[in-house]
Amino acid sequence: MFFFILTNNNSNKMFFLFILFFSTLISISSNSWFGCWIGLEINLLSFIPLISNSKNLLSVETSLKYFLTQSLASINFLFMILIKFSLLKNFNMNNIISIMMNSSLLMKMGSAPFHFWFPNIVEGLSWMNNFMLMTWQKISPMILLSYYFNKNFLIFMIIMNLIIGSLGGLNQTSLRKLLAFSSINNLGWMIFSIMISENLWLFYFLIYSMMIFMMISLFFLMNMYFMNQLFINNMNFFIKLNLLINFLSLGGLPPFMGFMPKWIIINFLLINKFYFLTFIFMMTSLIIIYYYIRIIYSSFMFNYFKMKWVNLLMKNNMSLINLSSFISISSMILSTFIFM
Amino acid sequence: MLIYDIWFLFIYMFFVGNLIFVSKNKHLLVVLLSLEFIVLSIFFFFLVLLMFIDYDMYMLMVFLVFSVCEGSLGLSILVSMIRSHGNDYFQSFSML
Repeated sequence: MFFFILTNNNSNKMFFLFILFFSTLISISSNSWFGCWIGLEINLLSFIPLISNSKNLLSVETSLKYFLTQSLASINFLFMILIKFSLLKNFNMNNIISIMMNSSLLMKMGSAPFHFWFPNIVEGLSWMNNFMLMTWQKISPMILLSYYFNKNFLIFMIIMNLIIGSLGGLNQTSLRKLLAFSSINNLGWMIFSIMISENLWLFYFLIYSMMIFMMISLFFLMNMYFMNQLFINNMNFFIKLNLLINFLSLGGLPPFMGFMPKWIIINFLLINKFYFLTFIFMMTSLIIIYYYIRIIYSSFMFNYFKMKWVNLLMKNNMSLINLSSFISISSMILSTFIFM
Repeated sequence: MLIYDIWFLFIYMFFVGNLIFVSKNKHLLVVLLSLEFIVLSIFFFFLVLLMFIDYDMYMLMVFLVFSVCEGSLGLSILVSMIRSHGNDYFQSFSML
C-alpha cells in the first residue's frame, strides 16, 4: 500500500494512511467504550479520502455507500453504548444490548446478514484499497466484538456468514467479488476464533492477511480484475502454479499454509463439542474450494488453453511470486521448527 | 416517576431517524439529514444522562466534535457526487 501510494504521486494520501493505522490503535486500546467509538469514527474519516477520487464515477459511488453504511453502524453502536451505560448492564453478556452492539460491529465488518454493501464496494475499489478493506478495517471491529459478545447470537451469525460466503461466490465472474465472498466466509471462521481466544484470532488473522496479500499482489501485478482475464493471458507456468497454490491455500487445503489455522479452529470446535457447527464449517469450505478449483484447474490439465496473441511477460517480478509460493507450501512444515 | 419517561423520547427519536435513513428517498440529502437527526437524539440522550450522573459535559463536547466531522464528511461526499453525476438522486446509481 505504501509502495502504491508512493509511485502513483498520491503522497498526500500517506497522511490518511497514517491516521488509519492510529485509529485502529485508539479503538482497541481505549479503556472505555466511548474511546472505542472515537477510534471507529476516525477510521471512517481517514478511510474515505483513501478511496474517493472525484474524477471517477465508480469511486464516488463506492465512497458514498461505504460512508452511509459505516456511519449508520457507528451511530447505532454509540446509542447502544449509551443505553448500556444508562442501564448499568456491564456484567451480563447474554442480553439484548449485547446483540445490538454486536450487530452494529458486524455491520462495520461486512459480515452476514449485514453484508450486502461489501461485494458492491469491493467491486468499486482498486486492489490495494481492497487489501486495506479486507484486512486492516476488520481488526478494530473484531477486537471490540471480543470485549462484549453474545455467544448464541454469534454462533448464528457464524453459520450465516459461512453459508452466504460460500453460496454467494458461486455465480461470480469478477475476481474482486469472489474474494469478497471468500472474505465473508473467512469472517465466520474468525468470529468463531474470537469466541475461543483472542490469541487464536490473531493467529488466524495474520495468516489470512498474508494469504490475501499474496493473492492481491499477484492480481495487482498482472492487473487482473475479472476471471476471463485469467484465461486470455499466456501465463508463465510459475505464475499459474502460484495462482493454484494461493487459491488452494486460501481454501484451506493441506499441505498449504491456509490449512493450519483452519485445522486449529476445527480442533477447538471438536474439543468444545460444537459438532453441528463443525459440519457446517466443513461443507461450506468444500463449496469454496469447488469454485476456486473451477477457476484454475483447466490450466493444469494436459489439454489447456494457451492463447498466442497476448503474452504476459513477467521477468522482473518473479522473485515475489517465487517467494510467495515457497511460503505457502512450506509454512506448515517450517512452523514446526519454531519451538526447537 | 414521570421524569424517567424522557428515555422513551430518545428511543423514539433514534428509531424514527433510523427509519428515515433506511427508507426510499429521492435525494441523498434526506439520508444525511436523518443521520444528523440521529446524532441530535444521541446528543440529547447524552446530555440528560450526564446531568443525572452529575458529570461535567466534556464527553458531550468530544462527541459533538466527532459527529460534526462525520456530518461534514457526508456533505463533502455529497458535493463530490454532485460534481460527478450532476445531481444527488438515488436513481443515478447505476454503476454498482
